[in-house]
Amino acid sequence: MASSRQGLSSAIRGISRRLNGGKWQALEQQFQSLRLSPSLIRGRRCLSTESEPNQLAGQPPITAAPEIDVDVLVKRYRIAKHARPVPVSPSYFSRTPTFNDRYLALEKLAKTYANLPVIPAADAERVAWKTLADLRQSFGEPVKATDYVKCLAIVKRLHLIHPGLKPNAVTEALQDFKRDVQAFLNVPKPIPIDKFGRALGVGRRKASTARAFVVEGDGQVLVNGKTLADYFGRIHDRESAVWALHATNRIDKYNVWARVEGGGTTGQAEALTLAIAKALLAHEPALKPALRRAGCVTRDPRRVERKKHGRVKARKGPTWVKR
Amino acid sequence: MSAPNCLRGLVRPSATIPISAPRSAAPRAAPIGLARPAPFSTTALNARRQDPNQQGGGGKGHVRQGKKLKLGKFKKTAVESKGKPPLPGERRAYRKRITLSNDNAIPVPWLKDIGADGLANAQNIARVLALPEEVQDQLRASEAFKPTQCWGMFRKPSLLVRKESVDLMNRIQTSVDNKQTLRLVVTGDKVTGKSMMLLQAQAHAFLNNWIVIHVPEGQELTTACTEYAPIPNTDPVQYMQPVYILKLLQSIKRANEKILAKTYTMTGHPELPQNITPNTPLLALCNAAKEPDSAWPVFQALWNELTAHGTAANRPPILLSLDGLAHVMRVSDYRSPAFERIHSHDLALVRLFTDTLGGAVQFPAGGAVLAATSRNNAPRSPSMELSLAQREAEQAKREEVPQKDPFFRGYDDRVEAVLRSVQVIRLGGVSKLEARALMEYWAASGMLRATVDEKAVTEKWTLAGSGVLGEMERAALLTMRI
Repeated sequence: MASSRQGLSSAIRGISRRLNGGKWQALEQQFQSLRLSPSLIRGRRCLSTESEPNQLAGQPPITAAPEIDVDVLVKRYRIAKHARPVPVSPSYFSRTPTFNDRYLALEKLAKTYANLPVIPAADAERVAWKTLADLRQSFGEPVKATDYVKCLAIVKRLHLIHPGLKPNAVTEALQDFKRDVQAFLNVPKPIPIDKFGRALGVGRRKASTARAFVVEGDGQVLVNGKTLADYFGRIHDRESAVWALHATNRIDKYNVWARVEGGGTTGQAEALTLAIAKALLAHEPALKPALRRAGCVTRDPRRVERKKHGRVKARKGPTWVKR
Repeated sequence: MSAPNCLRGLVRPSATIPISAPRSAAPRAAPIGLARPAPFSTTALNARRQDPNQQGGGGKGHVRQGKKLKLGKFKKTAVESKGKPPLPGERRAYRKRITLSNDNAIPVPWLKDIGADGLANAQNIARVLALPEEVQDQLRASEAFKPTQCWGMFRKPSLLVRKESVDLMNRIQTSVDNKQTLRLVVTGDKVTGKSMMLLQAQAHAFLNNWIVIHVPEGQELTTACTEYAPIPNTDPVQYMQPVYILKLLQSIKRANEKILAKTYTMTGHPELPQNITPNTPLLALCNAAKEPDSAWPVFQALWNELTAHGTAANRPPILLSLDGLAHVMRVSDYRSPAFERIHSHDLALVRLFTDTLGGAVQFPAGGAVLAATSRNNAPRSPSMELSLAQREAEQAKREEVPQKDPFFRGYDDRVEAVLRSVQVIRLGGVSKLEARALMEYWAASGMLRATVDEKAVTEKWTLAGSGVLGEMERAALLTMRI
């Protein structure tokens, strides 16, 4: 069985060598997937390029074999017309061939480039790697959690290779393990301070949007052209509007000129909190921890809850009526 | 059997009967009700709950537990009487009462009384000064205090001397020195201290022995809440408001008692119910008005006497003031016999004021006519707003003076004529220095429990919209935060 297969391949190799010199390897690779399955060839005659004995009489001893016509071969030896392709990957019949191939390739790369210098983990570019769920989704394979962990350890080790020396093969191999959306690339633009000393911060809350220009000053605040007392009737709203300055003891150091639109009074006041905090951070970035503790950094994502059918409002039940 | 037990035998058997106590514990001659010692309880409610006499009996009988079938669907439960309802006017009196001192507040040791020129002295800017007792009474008589102001929080009524108040007092003082009449309108945003400015001017006048005539609310004159009657022999017809004028006369009398007693009439007034001869004290003239009917002639006589020019007349300077100018700068709610609305300036008292504000009357010894606008419940008066804006622009020598809207017809010529040449003071927030002085006074009185430093002052100053005084009070004094 093995000898017949070898015979076929050696025959083809003989042709190809004659046809295109040293490029047989590539051709063999092409035909690799077309290898005949052993069951088909079982019991058949060994194929060879030897000419028949009656033709051999008047010919010179060494002649080129005739060209192989596969169609003729198929007809003559009753070989199945459609040979079953054999997968390239040896792990094709495992449940996770894509992952396995990647894993093996990574292991090979890790072994190859184990001696390249690495940088400290803190200095490496931050990358969001695919989570197990993402990986399963993108490969379409039931990857095991333990395998994933092992694989990701290799990925992270390869990622630490010094970026100046990192081979392209490594970069390409790691590409499959990166998430499609890289959150770490989404760096906020630093807020500039313009030539008048103003920093513009934008804040949002509920349906309100506030833009606050913060300059160094003595504590004056104008909201939509009105003073704080004119614009916000409630003391609480006024306090929330300047909360960022109050919490950092900067209320007598800056002036604010703000434009607010949308929403109601509470939303506008709290949108102003965020806007002023962001603009203040442009002036003094070191205040960020203090502002975060004061709750002036994170946007409050809550919105109006939608109304549901069968309810009067989002959650309020209809009035109970007897019968 | 002893007497109490015998008596008990006559009572119907029920749960209300207390169990007879052992003879040794109960006093022999104790009446039936006192046989059991009173249960210990702190409140009336608990006492009732503990009292076994109330539980079982009491005529109501047994009360079923659980759900009951209600047959009458809309049967109303009897409303329990909640005590005596307040008498007519009692609620209003409570609402309008003015408390000028708080015994629980800490007295401020460094607080000084205002002197005669205390409010005109620039050195007193950003200082808090107290009103002397006598002036307090006079201001109370002229109704200069308002119930919305925070007088009741402090030991003594005190004033913050602002830059604007010194400016105003100096203007008044200058005009008095030159025997001229200052005509001025105080305007500004909500709770910036406009009424307080009038109060300071009155305090200054009382301290300098001037005569003060103060109309505390312009709206009382024009919202048709007081009686009115046409004045005979006037063309066009003018209307007097006898009840209000009687009240005003009495407040003038009480506020200016001393100075009126020292000022004498120049001419006789035989038309009045009491015959007033020359050289009668003006106080007697004021006293001549006992009834609303005679109020207007008496007031007119008093006004003529006060404004009489002549060398023989030794008249004191006069301060005439009115709060809530917008109400007297519109068509009033009163109706003429033809059921047309009467213009406010056809009401005699309002006309007297507007004529003086317009410059038709000059006080013999000088003085001032002050008016303050109000931002509470004030009607729109486009002419007044425009005129004040124009005067302000003219005084600031701005290039752009606001002009009339040619497509608007709500303007009032009579109002514009009155306000054609008045001076205007616009009040805004106080400076940080003044705010600090005020907050130190609050802290010293124990009303503001915080360290008064730069940060605290700026915080309240900012929250109050750049130092609007009323808002500072709201932010610092009237919140429940401690």
